Amino acid sequence: MKAAQVIMNTGTHAAALAAKCARVDVIPGYPITPQTSIMEAIAAMVESGEMNARFIPVEGEHSVLAAAVAASAAGARVFTATSANGLLYMHEVLHMASGGRLPVVMCNVNRGIFAPWTLWADHQDSFSQRDTGWIQYHCSSNQEVFNTILQAFRVAEQINIPVMVNFDGFAISHCLMPLTLPPQEDIDRFLPPHEPEWRLDPQNPSSFSNVTMASEYAPFRQMLSDDIRASIPLVKQAAQEYKEITGMWDGDTIDTYRLEDAEVVAFAVNSMAAELRLSVDILRDQGIKAGLLRPRLYLPFPAEDIINALPQNAQVMVLDRNYNFGHPGGILASELKSVLFGRRHDITVKNRVIGIGGIDLTRRFMAEQILAMMDE
Amino acid sequence: MLELRINGFGGQGSVTLAHLLAQAALENGQQGQALPFFGVERRGAPVRAAVRISPTTIHAHSQCELPDYLVVMSEKLTQAAVNEGINNVGTVIVNSPQAISVSNHPTWQVDADAIARDAGLFSADGPTINIPLFGAVCKVLNIPQNIMEQTILNKWPGNNGKRNLGAAGKAYHEVQLCPPQF
Repeated sequence: MKAAQVIMNTGTHAAALAAKCARVDVIPGYPITPQTSIMEAIAAMVESGEMNARFIPVEGEHSVLAAAVAASAAGARVFTATSANGLLYMHEVLHMASGGRLPVVMCNVNRGIFAPWTLWADHQDSFSQRDTGWIQYHCSSNQEVFNTILQAFRVAEQINIPVMVNFDGFAISHCLMPLTLPPQEDIDRFLPPHEPEWRLDPQNPSSFSNVTMASEYAPFRQMLSDDIRASIPLVKQAAQEYKEITGMWDGDTIDTYRLEDAEVVAFAVNSMAAELRLSVDILRDQGIKAGLLRPRLYLPFPAEDIINALPQNAQVMVLDRNYNFGHPGGILASELKSVLFGRRHDITVKNRVIGIGGIDLTRRFMAEQILAMMDE
Repeated sequence: MLELRINGFGGQGSVTLAHLLAQAALENGQQGQALPFFGVERRGAPVRAAVRISPTTIHAHSQCELPDYLVVMSEKLTQAAVNEGINNVGTVIVNSPQAISVSNHPTWQVDADAIARDAGLFSADGPTINIPLFGAVCKVLNIPQNIMEQTILNKWPGNNGKRNLGAAGKAYHEVQLCPPQF
């Protein structure tokens, strides 16, 4: 049996390598900072023959996802990546991919939204696509990006729903870290070839996505809604089997740290949630029983797992790197309150918006924020 | 976990220096992280990069605000780099033609410009100072010379690597702890 290999790699190159290891067939692409180096790395691997795939450069993100949808409908395993306004430009076609039940996997490298322009990370871009019917993971390390793309293909193809794998621009995308690459035969065992039940076939012409009457449309939409919720056991199974095969574990629908006896729980996603482990340690050193709950899945929001994981009478400090316009705080806090309502009367939820547009979030700063929130 | 920050000017190779240090950490059996800050990139503008080295998994993803080691690519930046933040007992490593000392911080000095020039290492921006600085920082961090050399050869196999080895090795031996300033 071959051993895993450890290399130094950036987050974007980890994503490109995951696409290669997933043996994707088609990658439509268009550059946007900070995602661009994913497409550059894939284009180079296709050019050199290291990847046996078709790279399709197009003129904008709307066309990227249109090409992805068409290739996926033809039965290909399809990967692409974008960021911020590129994701927003895809908005209409995001619905086409989910409604068309096409298992595309796409990385969104989180970046604040125009206007004004910013290059650095916050989570307005991915969270603002909540209602497009995509499953959304949020990752907090380079290794998790790699692992999650492989898990995402498995879930997407099992349930025919597209999956977005999100991670922070620069803090992860341009961060050089060790990356463990499992042997390819282990990855192949985890992720078998894509064999769709149905595909567009020029030899056997059929039509796809015709106009439907309400009596047909409504059941389609109900099925999509039901299946998105039914993806939760598949997400857990994918994480568990990935662990059995590779030994690596990033959590399933959620990830926790020192949570069991916590009285104060930090609640956040992406790279800030990794740094928050260190904030938890700082607070524990000061005698505060702190812990961390990081949703790995944003959509579907893992309600039951969160409800079951939160210790009795915990104060939950939600640190949102986004705005829920029209409300005093952020989007994660709103999601969390809606799942706790009527289920966990013992929990207090407090919320702050921090780190917008890539403001540096250090362990000390976030520990101070949590301390201040305890007094509110 | 050891935290280090590089302060330099755009074009001096701070990003490559950060990458080399993280790669040397892995080569040395530890975890390494290089996290450059990418701003609006311009030659000559102030730039910074964070480096972390740890025996266990690194979870931090912020810039190093209070580093244990501060690497200053040009002595002109020394005070500005210190003002940006350093651990109270942090060590400073400065590229400077003469001995230099930062109050209350052990200060190491190496003439990376001269070493790069003598080795014939130049880029469009002048002497390639990040190679000698890599050697100097490895010495200060107690990274063995053979690990430093292997890291360079992994990145630049062949003759380019050999020329870099000479400059990095010279800096490894020449970097010196300056007398403290009171």
